[in-house]
Amino acid sequence: MTYNYIPHPPREGKDLLGTLNEFAYAEYGSFLEVLALAKKAKSPRRKFGFIKHALDEYRHSSLFFNILSNQAKRGVGKFKREYRYFPQNVIIKGYVDKKGFLVEKLSLKNLLEFVYANELMVKETFDRLKKINSITKDEESINILNSMMKDEMDHHGQAKKLYEIKFPNSKLQIALKKERIKRNFRLINFHNIKLLNKIFDPIINFFINCFGKIINLISIPDSNNKNLLALDPKNVI
Amino acid sequence: MFYLGISAYYHDSSVALSDADGNLVDFKKEEWLSRIKGDKTFPRLALQELINFFNLSEENIKSITFYEKPVRSWISVLKHSIKNNPLSNDLTRNYFKNVWNSSMRFQMDISKYIKIKKIPLLYSDHHLSHTLSALHYYNNFPCVSVVVDGYGDKYCTSIHHVKSDKEIINLWNSEYPNSLGLFYSAITDFLGFSINEGEYKMMGLASFGQPKFFENLKKTIKFEDNKLITDTKYYDYVRRIDRSFSDLLIDLFETEPRLPNVSLEIGKKNFQAYADIAASAQKVLEELLFSIFQYAYNLTKERKFLFSGGVAMNSAAVRKCSKLKFIDQLNISPSPGDSGAAIGASYFGFLNERKKKFANFVSKNNIKNNLFPGKFKSKDNFLEFGFDKVADTDTFLNETSKLIAKNEIIATCYSNIETGPRALGHRSLICNAHSSELVKKLSTEIKKRNLFRPTAPAILKEYAEKYFYLENSLTNCYMHMAATATPKAEFLENIRGVVHVDNTSRIQICNETQLLGKILNNLKKFDIYLIANTSFNISSDPMVYDEIDAVVALHKMKIKYLLTENGLFRKKFEIRV
Repeated sequence: MTYNYIPHPPREGKDLLGTLNEFAYAEYGSFLEVLALAKKAKSPRRKFGFIKHALDEYRHSSLFFNILSNQAKRGVGKFKREYRYFPQNVIIKGYVDKKGFLVEKLSLKNLLEFVYANELMVKETFDRLKKINSITKDEESINILNSMMKDEMDHHGQAKKLYEIKFPNSKLQIALKKERIKRNFRLINFHNIKLLNKIFDPIINFFINCFGKIINLISIPDSNNKNLLALDPKNVI
Repeated sequence: MFYLGISAYYHDSSVALSDADGNLVDFKKEEWLSRIKGDKTFPRLALQELINFFNLSEENIKSITFYEKPVRSWISVLKHSIKNNPLSNDLTRNYFKNVWNSSMRFQMDISKYIKIKKIPLLYSDHHLSHTLSALHYYNNFPCVSVVVDGYGDKYCTSIHHVKSDKEIINLWNSEYPNSLGLFYSAITDFLGFSINEGEYKMMGLASFGQPKFFENLKKTIKFEDNKLITDTKYYDYVRRIDRSFSDLLIDLFETEPRLPNVSLEIGKKNFQAYADIAASAQKVLEELLFSIFQYAYNLTKERKFLFSGGVAMNSAAVRKCSKLKFIDQLNISPSPGDSGAAIGASYFGFLNERKKKFANFVSKNNIKNNLFPGKFKSKDNFLEFGFDKVADTDTFLNETSKLIAKNEIIATCYSNIETGPRALGHRSLICNAHSSELVKKLSTEIKKRNLFRPTAPAILKEYAEKYFYLENSLTNCYMHMAATATPKAEFLENIRGVVHVDNTSRIQICNETQLLGKILNNLKKFDIYLIANTSFNISSDPMVYDEIDAVVALHKMKIKYLLTENGLFRKKFEIRV
């Protein structure tokens, strides 16, 4: 499962390594989300269930880093410095919201709907990823993806089962449609970041031009030879 | 009444809580709870946990202190960038774009969790927070405090004369961009490690190299006429956000920067070249530290030193600095970096309040009783997570010792967690340090660390003196692995696994009241006098915090035994990871 948004498989030959890198962080984000679920769950049995699920997500993340490394070795693209593992990327890239984990923000019903829908959508995405030429030729990567797809379907099934016990009168298909629409909006946003930057950059440049020179005139107080404990503690500059 | 200190937005955010007497009662890093290593976001989870533990509210919080002055911090780098770069430069734009992710939003963030109408919000000077984080553990006046980090609010290095806990005079500073910490980070970046995460890897790598580039590298940063000067032609941290070194530095090393997927294995291609670069940078760092310490002595004539800031975590440099003839005592806090600055901030709140009320005050804080602050207790539900209980609390230390003697690796998740980056026994992986093969397995196979990174030993004081040459000036540092020591030649072969290639060990001297001390005491009968001790986490994960993290980490690392304050447990089966 990948939460918040699911990266999109690239068109043939277009930044496959970058996409694999995104998948690795997305899965790591899911690991953290499910771990948070395990910590919040009340019953030990459910806690342990979430621990196992979290370990699946962790494994997926590691496996994506492995596929990335394999594909780089096969000469699919250049391994860039930005692929260096940096844990905080999971927040920077938006796979975990710094304001809170899903379990803190969603009701149990919405959370189960989310898991049910996203696990299925991720499985579909992996299906598309498998069809990319350089992946098709890499038997190890195909096996990894197959095993991950099986896990995703298991998680999808578990969420469905729990949902049907807890909320027998609700319909999951509506939730799936809702999540598909949300995902498409997230993807539009994701793929248009460059465009948004183009729109906002001149505005930021305008601000820099206006305020930059003013900022340069602000003098920062010096504390040389002063007792630091005697300075005004409410002063922010 | 409590004093809250917070550090956030740059790296390793954290929260510290001192009581009405200024004693540190709890400390939490956000990464322990969010499980994101180096998490720098506002420490909401850590703060929430303290609010729950101590029923914190506006009724019982005397002050909240942020560890730096936010506007000064934001403006300082920006001013430099605007002055020296084109206006639309990446760094300048980044500062403008991220203004609402910076410490400027502190007041807004804190007010979401605590009503702040009645509580004074205080802002300590960044380097003062570092000094106070050390002073909190070592109230031993007068002394001189040397703070060296990447960048605080305006300053990168400071010398403070600590005359008393009412008078700390700022004597000297180096301003951004003249920074020893940023210099070291730039080379870390060149070597393909992540900044703020890979510096200790570079320190480990340095021992394998020769300082072949020292003469050239020292031209790029120097201490001249009592000023630290960085030649920023070589360092792109002043202009770029994606890279800290410039093309000129690449030319200087005549080596391409290492890509992160190129493995660094001893004897393999390029290993020696990168080790030589690391060794050169380490030597430059050490020489500059000597100059700064010398200058601090010249200014104050004090022989007792406090050392803090991220650079104080460089245990190899610490040992060399301690040998400077004018230093009688070199004290470092267990968490000298930015996260520990939250401790300094909470202490600032206390001192600020106290100066209004008390005339004479003797702090009871000391390093011995403040290594594991907090109220943490792990829950006893491991039986439901697929574990057997091997021993109850009356026999668990004996059983643990027996297993260590049988060359088993034991994980600990025992009571309160350590404040600093070094595991001191409560969140540790421990094993028999006399078996070098076992230590190697622990470091490389289980923790997935590079072979060039050393593993540290824990030892009782009586044996530390027998096995190692100890520096008197570092007595306190040895309690929390802040410095290295040299093993005596006659014992070298017996403890090879915990001795680094440069013939040093980052030792932890335990007393017999601590968990590791008790285990070591038990191990004497098996002729085991040292245990290898490394943090309970897999490489690039934060340290394990609670029982859920412990279960997850045990499966990730395929470790069987877990010692908690509730007993010794054994995992019944493995989950595929």
